[in-house]
Amino acid sequence: MIHMKKIFILPIIGLLLFSACNDLNIMPKNVITDDNLLSNEAGMEIYMARMYSSMPFEDFKYMPQWGINFNSWLGAIGIEGTGEALNRDGICTAFTGEDTPYWGQAFTLLRSANHLLEVLPKYKSAYKEETYNHYLGEAYFVRATVFYAMARRFGGAPLVTKEIQYPADADQLEVPRASEKETWDQVLADFDKATELLQSKSPKTGYANKYVALAFKSEAMLYAGSVAKYNETVPGRLTGFGQKTGVRVIGFAQDEWQDASKKYFTEAYKAAKKVMQDGGYSLYKKKWSPTDREAQYQNMVDMFSDLTSPENIYVKEYQYPTMTHGFDAYSAPFIFRAPLASGTCPSLDFLELFDGFNRYPDGTVKVTDGNSNNQGNYLMYDTPMDFFKNAEPRLRAYVIFPGDMFRGKEIEIRAGVYTGSTPVSSLFSDYSYNNAGTLYQHLDAYKLSPKKLYLSPRQENSQELVPYNGGTMTAAGANGPFYDNGEGCLTGLYDRKWLNADPAFVAGEGKSAQPFILMRYAEVLLNAAEAAVELSLAGVTSPDNDNLMQVATDAVNQIRERAGATLLTANITSTEAGRNIVRKERRKELGLEHKTRWDLRRWRVWHYEGRDGFWGEVRNKDSYSNSSRYRFRGLYPFFSTVTGKYFFDAHFQWVSQKTFEYNIVDYYFAIPGGEVSKSSVIDQQPNR
Amino acid sequence: MNNIKNMKKITFCIILCGLFSFSSCSLFEMDNYSAPAETLQGEVVDVATGDPVLTDQGSEGIRVRLTELSFGDNVTHNPDFFCMSNGSFQNTKIFKGNYNIRIDGPFIPLIREDERGVPLADETKTMDIKGTTKVKFEVQPFLKVEWVSEPTVTDGKITAKVRVTRAVSESDFQSKIEPMGGYSSSFLNVTDIQLFVSYSSSVGYRARDDRWSSKIEYSGSAFGTLLGKTITIESNGTIPSGQTVFVRAASRINYDTPKGSGTRRWNYSEPAEVIVP
Repeated sequence: MIHMKKIFILPIIGLLLFSACNDLNIMPKNVITDDNLLSNEAGMEIYMARMYSSMPFEDFKYMPQWGINFNSWLGAIGIEGTGEALNRDGICTAFTGEDTPYWGQAFTLLRSANHLLEVLPKYKSAYKEETYNHYLGEAYFVRATVFYAMARRFGGAPLVTKEIQYPADADQLEVPRASEKETWDQVLADFDKATELLQSKSPKTGYANKYVALAFKSEAMLYAGSVAKYNETVPGRLTGFGQKTGVRVIGFAQDEWQDASKKYFTEAYKAAKKVMQDGGYSLYKKKWSPTDREAQYQNMVDMFSDLTSPENIYVKEYQYPTMTHGFDAYSAPFIFRAPLASGTCPSLDFLELFDGFNRYPDGTVKVTDGNSNNQGNYLMYDTPMDFFKNAEPRLRAYVIFPGDMFRGKEIEIRAGVYTGSTPVSSLFSDYSYNNAGTLYQHLDAYKLSPKKLYLSPRQENSQELVPYNGGTMTAAGANGPFYDNGEGCLTGLYDRKWLNADPAFVAGEGKSAQPFILMRYAEVLLNAAEAAVELSLAGVTSPDNDNLMQVATDAVNQIRERAGATLLTANITSTEAGRNIVRKERRKELGLEHKTRWDLRRWRVWHYEGRDGFWGEVRNKDSYSNSSRYRFRGLYPFFSTVTGKYFFDAHFQWVSQKTFEYNIVDYYFAIPGGEVSKSSVIDQQPNR
Repeated sequence: MNNIKNMKKITFCIILCGLFSFSSCSLFEMDNYSAPAETLQGEVVDVATGDPVLTDQGSEGIRVRLTELSFGDNVTHNPDFFCMSNGSFQNTKIFKGNYNIRIDGPFIPLIREDERGVPLADETKTMDIKGTTKVKFEVQPFLKVEWVSEPTVTDGKITAKVRVTRAVSESDFQSKIEPMGGYSSSFLNVTDIQLFVSYSSSVGYRARDDRWSSKIEYSGSAFGTLLGKTITIESNGTIPSGQTVFVRAASRINYDTPKGSGTRRWNYSEPAEVIVP
């Protein structure tokens, strides 16, 4: 026991011995300081890399449902209720908020940018003036990007424009949300500052430059102008004051929205025009030929992976094996599953935006010889691809059709086999929204004997077999759709955009290294066109004396020509119909690129009352929605054994049925609850 | 041997010391914060008639928002809950405390502020909730929706006769809403009549069956002359025979509550049971 006591006493004595009276004030060698980082270009590169690696860019590693957390798991695109595509999982839900709200990360990044702006002047002499300015420009670009990301999510954001020293009093540390107008003005000011300071060519791959800043500025200002204008079209005028501060944290005052909207559209127009005139970019046309639609198609396939494309303005690059993503592991056709597949299945409604299909009088794609798809007999095709033989080359570059080639293989997509006599009349009598839940497996032709319709619940050994030509064939195609397995094709169509098309490529999680184009010249053209039409609608004279409608028409026609679409023969008019031509073109060209959801938000066409404009063009919202909820359709190929031909049925999503809901409050995401409750100045959205 | 024995003792002691260092002062006391057990019962009635304001249970119905006030000025409200379809609400899991109770629904807003956020009126209630606390809100609903006669069925289709009247007069509405700014006379327009059909007796917007529910929409002030008149509305599709379904009619005006939310809430009729022969 005496030993034991000693054991207790010893440590106590030991502790006393370790105390000291002098402060240790030698800087440890392993702490990196401003002197190390900001005084030389090598250090600056590290500083930049750190900022850029946390920029709120939306690419392969962004999932709308999850928010910005740089994760490529389940990689899919256009599945957030925008109608571009569908997915079987819970991530396929309308863009009404993000699981990780873009809030805390934003302030970390703002701090890095503000720190650079405040401290770099100390080291000015270490750099050439051009380089020094460029670094400052980068910091402004970062800040503009962060404020823009916040503004389009929340409206008014806390405008932290200086590095806040810590510790300090609460009133120094807490920055309340500014008004939405002030926030957009800050975005504008920061982009302008960046444009002024940045070099016209990026000094290093991945760095910004003057035209990158201008291109993003035009996108941001288009958002601001649209919000100011189209908030007015929402029932109840979308605006309100914060409870704690009384600041107009969302929306614009009744006497300021018009001027604000005009100002922002003007800025969007001027920025886009500047890129068009001086940027030296052009549409990608390396393989393009005016007469060869096959070449036009291949050209648009190649442009998304060609890093030398003159269309690329700003690109997020990946590199195998150190910096990769997994888009191909989740969104390729079912036969390439590695380990998953079919994450991105474009909808028929998306396809209907494009040229080259026969239509019913109401504009939907024609699949029968009647006047709507519940009338008449199905049109028959020798091969599924015959249905698409006049399809716009751009669509074929974005979407894999049933029977088209991908990675050296034919992509067999077949919903089922019909053994009844021909002609075949419509499988359903009612294709309306209310009847969307009645599916092929509920049909008497499938359930009752004699069985006329064969479908497969699952792939491979679970396929139903149909006697045909002395042998048997599987009811569903190798890629589905399988009515009991959402891993097969869901809509009859597959995404092609962004997928690695190389037959030798072996997909897998973290095996993909295709770049993601965050900003390309086509968008700048569309920004200019949309801003031009909006300015003209608002009665503003052209900021640069160019004919606004001519600018818009030329931009749209350049894009259509490259896409192999039908050209406009007359100038776009200064009307809503004219504006819709530009909107529809934008929805087509920039589909499946993480852009459309923001367009739907800023146009305020996502809620029920405004949903007629959801597709850029006018489509009757009641054909695909019921109050706040709505859904999308697929195009399902069937094989007829009697004729040996194919027919198509247009039906609301058959497999993994998804309905979406969007309400007016969703145009401004909720501020994270914890931030509101712990702060005495951060306001929740007033309409929540 | 002795060494090993000692070692074991020491290890034991160290672990014991470690464990004790994790304990708090009330190690042997029970967690004594009582579970939320207070009850709030409320009803929402029409101030003019005393009739309950019928609604649908869900975020499109009448929202009840409690805010516990003891946290100081940066309080965040409790999770919202919603009135039952008969216009009453109850929450039996509330902590004892002082609360502000606010409801939003198809009636003149209780909190009214002008364009600059200056308060004009605040008819919310602030009270201590303890035991079973009862509260009654007397509000001015926008519309009154009634059955003119029992809904009838022919060939699986329900035909209902509905009467919609204003429960708050146009001048009253204007005098209360106009000072909030951005006023438009279009706010008063009746925009639609809904006939919700469902197998469930809690029929309403949430529990409707899309196959059979129907609506009539009115643009602009087209409804104006139909106020107080009998409107006939028919269900969609064909309801299978031998089924019992429940129906409700609902109607709303072109005004969202709370302001800026864009949620235009319906006033409802009583549910009616319909047997489809």
